[in-house]
Amino acid sequence: MSASIRSMSLTVCRAARVAYRASNPATRSLSTGACLRTESSPSEGSRGFIESTEEFRFVERLIPPSRIPTPPKHDGAAPSGWTPASATPPPLPYMIRRSRMHNVPVYSDIKHGNQHSTLLRKVEGEIWALNKDVKEFLLGLTGKEPPTQVNEVTGTIRIKGQFDKELKDWLLKKGF
Amino acid sequence: MFRATLAICGRTVVKRFISSVSGENALPSNLRLPSNLIGVGRQKRASPSGSDLPVLHRCEDVIPAHLAPAQTWLESLGSCDGEPLGVVDLHPDVFSVPVRLDILHDVEVWQRNFKRISHAKVKSRAEVSGGGRKPWKQKGSGRARHGSIRSPLWRGGGVAHGPRGPTSYYYMLPMKVRVQGLKIALTAKLAQDYLHIVDSLEIPTPDPHYLLELVKHRQWGDSVLIVDVGDEFPQNILKATEDLKTVNIIPAIGLNVHSMLKHESLVLTLEAVKFLEKKLLWHDVRYTPLYPFKLPYRDMP
Repeated sequence: MSASIRSMSLTVCRAARVAYRASNPATRSLSTGACLRTESSPSEGSRGFIESTEEFRFVERLIPPSRIPTPPKHDGAAPSGWTPASATPPPLPYMIRRSRMHNVPVYSDIKHGNQHSTLLRKVEGEIWALNKDVKEFLLGLTGKEPPTQVNEVTGTIRIKGQFDKELKDWLLKKGF
Repeated sequence: MFRATLAICGRTVVKRFISSVSGENALPSNLRLPSNLIGVGRQKRASPSGSDLPVLHRCEDVIPAHLAPAQTWLESLGSCDGEPLGVVDLHPDVFSVPVRLDILHDVEVWQRNFKRISHAKVKSRAEVSGGGRKPWKQKGSGRARHGSIRSPLWRGGGVAHGPRGPTSYYYMLPMKVRVQGLKIALTAKLAQDYLHIVDSLEIPTPDPHYLLELVKHRQWGDSVLIVDVGDEFPQNILKATEDLKTVNIIPAIGLNVHSMLKHESLVLTLEAVKFLEKKLLWHDVRYTPLYPFKLPYRDMP
């Protein structure tokens, strides 16, 4: 049993060495001399190996992209409900950019299980004007003015209460 | 006396109010400035927005609709007192970002500390030789009770809470924070008129005095950092900057916040500007990494 395994392994090694030599004709021709170079190509064909790099496209299309693609053009809302930002920025003193996945940057947050807040990020321009508009909108919505925290350095507004859906729709209607 | 002090306080308050209302240029008349103070006598150059020179380089990447490109002069190093060749557009998401000094500080401190390995090590009472035996018996000798001659109380004893072995201060800030730090540093250099764009680094002589004269004539400051893309630089500029301590040249992949803050002025070639814009803007539109970015992706910048 051990002898047969040893003979099998020997034949495997010999086959591997033959295959290696066949796939690297350069080493063979260098070692055997220039006069034998013409002999290497018919011997390759007789062994049955054809080198081809055209099948590499099947590997290339599996490599993932690194950039987030721009979404295709939709007139109005997409079937999923996603709405693109308007091509011209709205004529307001502030601007709210989209996130890198092209969504409106409004996020809801919960702390200690009962403290709800909404975070409005990526604000550029006059953040206090936006703060006033947000307070007016939420006053009309709920009847009371929610406390807000404006961070001028990072361009964010944190609002007490969970208003992410309403704020998202409001910003989309404005055209951000 | 109380009324007099109130009047004096009122006067100083009024003077401070006047100086804040009139602008930051109003220095007090009795102020004496040292001669080596940076940036006191500097006049900012005129902005290139109203000039007739052509725009020689537009941004390759898409600029958001609500932002306009930042503009600056394109100069040449060929002659000492040369006029600017034209105007260059710079992408606002790299050269006009909000200047977050806290991020800049974080990145600078990280650059200093993440490479630091402190090799300070002192012997504890277990490592100092000797001290295994109780020096005298517990009771009866009249002296204080001790267990070993190398305890931290003793002269020649081990240190109780000293530095222990090589300690590493390695930590990594998120990639996006480091990228934002670079963008903020570039923005700050542009805003303070310390950024200069040059078409190429060809200079007529390998003489370091030529460069120093050029820097002095154009009022670029005390120290200049020259940045270009690629591994090969013209021989003249390499020889000229070789022995100079205040004028240094680095490839664009070596640009970092500490070097930008250390040198007063930053000189970028057009190729370096394109390279930096491409690399820094990619981080705004990239996916989170599936596997490290060192491995191949389909469309790396």
